Amino acid sequence: MADHANHDHHGISHVAPARVLLTAWIGLMVLTVITVGATKIDLGANYNLALAMAIAVVKATIVLLFFMHLRYDKLFHSVLVTGGLLAAALFVGFALMDSGQYQDTVIWNPASPPAAPIGPPLVP
Amino acid sequence: MSEPSHDHHDDHGHHGSRFIQHHYDDAAHQFDSGKLGIWFFLVQEILFFSALFVAYIVFRAHHPEIFAYAHHYLDVKWGAINTAVLIVSSLTAAWAVRCAQLNQRKGLIACLSITILCALGFLGIKTIEYTHKIHEHILWGKYFDPCVASAGNHLLNKGNNCPGFRSSVTWDAKSNKAASGCLEGEFDREPEVPGIQAECKVTEVKGANRRPVEACAEEGGKSTFPCWELSANPHVCPAGPGALIIYGDHAHHGDVTVEATCEAVPATAPVGDAFAPAAKPEVEGQATFRRNPALTKHERQHLFASGPPPEHTSMFFSIYFAMTGLHGIHVLVGVFIFIWLLVRAIRGDFTPEYFGPIDYAALYWHLVDLIWIFLFPLLYLIH
Amino acid sequence: MSAAVDTTCSYLSPKASARKGILGWMLTLDHKRIGMMYLFGILFALLLGGAFALLVRAELWTPGETIVGKDWYNKFFTLHGAVMVFLVIIPGIPAALGNMVLPIQLGAPDVAFPKLNLASFYLWCLGAILLLVSVVSGGLDTGWTFYTPYSLQTKTAVIPAVMGAFVLGFSSIFTGLNFLVTVHKFRPKQMGWFQMPLNLWALYSTALMQVLATPVLGITLLLLFVERFMHIGVFDPNMGGDPVLFQHFFWFYSHPAVYIMIVPAMGVVSELMTTFSRKPIFGYRFIAYSSVSLALLSFLVWGHHMFVSGQSKLANMVFSALTFSVGIPSAIKVFNWTSTLYKGDIRLETPMLYALSFLIMFTIGGLTGIFLAILSIDVQLHDTYFVVAHFHYVMMGSTLIAFIGGLHYWWPKMSGKMYPDRISKVAAIGVFIGFNLTFLPQFVMGSRGMPRRYWDYDPEFKIFHQLSTVGAFLLGLSLFAVVVYLIWSLKYGKVAPKNPWGGTTLEWEAPTPPTVFNFPEPPEIPEIYNYDDFVDAPDGGVMRKPGGTSAAGSSGAH
Repeated sequence: MADHANHDHHGISHVAPARVLLTAWIGLMVLTVITVGATKIDLGANYNLALAMAIAVVKATIVLLFFMHLRYDKLFHSVLVTGGLLAAALFVGFALMDSGQYQDTVIWNPASPPAAPIGPPLVP
Repeated sequence: MSEPSHDHHDDHGHHGSRFIQHHYDDAAHQFDSGKLGIWFFLVQEILFFSALFVAYIVFRAHHPEIFAYAHHYLDVKWGAINTAVLIVSSLTAAWAVRCAQLNQRKGLIACLSITILCALGFLGIKTIEYTHKIHEHILWGKYFDPCVASAGNHLLNKGNNCPGFRSSVTWDAKSNKAASGCLEGEFDREPEVPGIQAECKVTEVKGANRRPVEACAEEGGKSTFPCWELSANPHVCPAGPGALIIYGDHAHHGDVTVEATCEAVPATAPVGDAFAPAAKPEVEGQATFRRNPALTKHERQHLFASGPPPEHTSMFFSIYFAMTGLHGIHVLVGVFIFIWLLVRAIRGDFTPEYFGPIDYAALYWHLVDLIWIFLFPLLYLIH
Repeated sequence: MSAAVDTTCSYLSPKASARKGILGWMLTLDHKRIGMMYLFGILFALLLGGAFALLVRAELWTPGETIVGKDWYNKFFTLHGAVMVFLVIIPGIPAALGNMVLPIQLGAPDVAFPKLNLASFYLWCLGAILLLVSVVSGGLDTGWTFYTPYSLQTKTAVIPAVMGAFVLGFSSIFTGLNFLVTVHKFRPKQMGWFQMPLNLWALYSTALMQVLATPVLGITLLLLFVERFMHIGVFDPNMGGDPVLFQHFFWFYSHPAVYIMIVPAMGVVSELMTTFSRKPIFGYRFIAYSSVSLALLSFLVWGHHMFVSGQSKLANMVFSALTFSVGIPSAIKVFNWTSTLYKGDIRLETPMLYALSFLIMFTIGGLTGIFLAILSIDVQLHDTYFVVAHFHYVMMGSTLIAFIGGLHYWWPKMSGKMYPDRISKVAAIGVFIGFNLTFLPQFVMGSRGMPRRYWDYDPEFKIFHQLSTVGAFLLGLSLFAVVVYLIWSLKYGKVAPKNPWGGTTLEWEAPTPPTVFNFPEPPEIPEIYNYDDFVDAPDGGVMRKPGGTSAAGSSGAH
């Protein structure tokens, strides 16, 4: 980061260069247009979702790195964000692992009770 | 100031801003501490929102049909505009930090003002969206009942199969001579096959200052359009054979009287024994279109020929309102924070030595933007 | 702003605040005063939660109705759980003892954000008030876990309790955030991470969990709140919602919450073990790392609370396997504490009695936890008194005991007064006997099939319930005595020496009680856990031999 350390470092913290902020902003705007446009192309539901999420991740990275200064900031702050995201990913992962195993909803209908379980009848 | 730290004068060599608290070594120590604090807070925010994303992902993974169906109720246009508004405000928030660091007070005030305006704009657009949804009863959980309001014309124009619009007004055959003649003359038993349609020529519309029959009005009140459908579902119209569908306008909530000529024709290919096409009967007369309170919500939803919405469609809106609502609260909080900062900026509190609050608020604001960056495609851009 | 603050006087002195009287306490930003206010709030909540526990035990004296009916019984155990978990055990060590000790152990003048610290305290008060509102407005009968769909249907006061727990969650988050930043930014340069007292490692790990896990409780309770108010349906199966998802949400927080309760207790016990053995702590790095690894593991095992409540087989197996791994860092700590005792110069002061109780009861609580982690055994033992006994051994027998032990350890420093020695030892033994008499029979009952949360029971369990009730009253009496003599000692206790125990961490270098900014001069950073050159001090405590060589650095960061 030597290239921007000299004149940008002003006072007690790094000052974001105007060019970086504007470029990031233009990038975000362009990506917004692209992500809306991408829904017009039919890639199949899963690929459309993957594309939209990929664009969102790129946008989020731009915001984090440049608007939120992580690119110029202490590494530990990036570690914190990554840790938070990992914890959230863990949360999603386990919840999805469990709910992925759910059986279909069973609705009890007294008019037609489910078939008796296999095995001898439950009479004493 | 109440804290003892301001009262004692143990000089650590502090200089510059009077806002440097005494238990810190210097301005940089205070700034770094605050920055670390705000980052921990943002991590907390990520986890705070994470549960809603978990709910979203679990429900979408297991019920994609709900999401594919329900997202049509959202308007991509508003979502995209709001995304752009937030991105602009993020830029100005980041720029405000830069101005504060470079001691550009006017620029700081301008940036903070634009950020506040954008935030208010975001909330304004959100209000438009929410108001519309409240009007249409496109709400969460058990309040999801899009068939209650007769409006929703534009939803239909978007081709999104809104059941609320088309099923909300029914032709009550029994209470009306002309209509009942038309219907009863032709259909003497319950149809058993879906897709039977009839046409209705509406000759005149009486509805005072309303425009209850938009399509008819457009063509001099004489247009012919497939105005009613018979559902295969026997639950739909236990009393009469069918529902007449009209294109009502937004303001329409009450009954509308229409003079109409009805002509029943099979709109689809031969439909078997269920439909007995004798001569095409025509009956002129008056029909009153009104909301039929006798139908349950479930039945109204099933009136629609292209199929009822998936079961538990309301779950999408539960998640939609939870996510956008919580995000909206964060935006609202941001507005107050930025107004407070604007007041302080005008007062001249901030210096290149002391601009922490601007930086922390901007970081918070970027996180709010970041969450919206994910909410927008997840809620509006479902393919 | 008045200039009347004397920063060289004790923080307890009226001169330590610019404001007069009670306002000087209520609006204070001094971490020690805030810690004291927390302490008394928490002790009050402890008595309240204890009263509910005794009502529960009294009701169980005989099968069928003893003192109240089943509806009131449901409310009693719910309120006992909610008050003890949210108001006592979670904030107990971090907010009360941690607030008091953490900045001093760092040699810092205060926590990083004193105003936030005071705000956390008032959030705690608000949460306590909301819980009390739910007590007086008819109580709560959902259990402290608020499981859906019952919590959506019951007519009892769920909403104030949920709001209270939500607010308390944010109190906990802000305390944790404050401690994290304080440890990062106020640690003197001479004090590396591995020169920190183990108590700070434990508080740091706890704070990490508070910041990462508690927000999920917040959003869960918020969803429950809108669910009850607006019928949003996310957890309601009638609307396509998923009640098991609620349990995932709840335990994603509440399992780490269990470690938020126990890890700081381990930090306190680490201090007590080494100080009262006059021997360097055995395996410093392992204890430090095991605190952090417990914090990380806490996020991987929440599903073991859901083995029999609708969770899938796959998730059951994964969570069961992961749960065993928690035994490793816990056992590391137990072995290290035991090794610290070995050939130590053990002094059976009151705090040490509590530390030794902790060692025994945590071992029992931990091992029975391993039984419950085994899927096939848990299916039998789930929702029986075995589980009740298990978590009371950990929550009460370990955490609360460590809290009381730490309170005695730091009481001379905090209050400037000694507690009455003999009574306190009797009370400590009373706590130990009372506790084990209460909960050992519950293991037996549970393994024989006595379900938890039942108001009525088979007469064969009567003797166990009666033993348990007798133990509970002995325990309650002993704890009540502790509260009474601590308050008594504030006025009548002997003046405490600067370092009564021979502690090696920084707080013992501070004046007793500490001055407004803890240290009149920036302190030297001592070499912790070095007991070589202590001699008797003129004030009745101990001190470093003058001219000793134990100081590692020359000055603090300030």
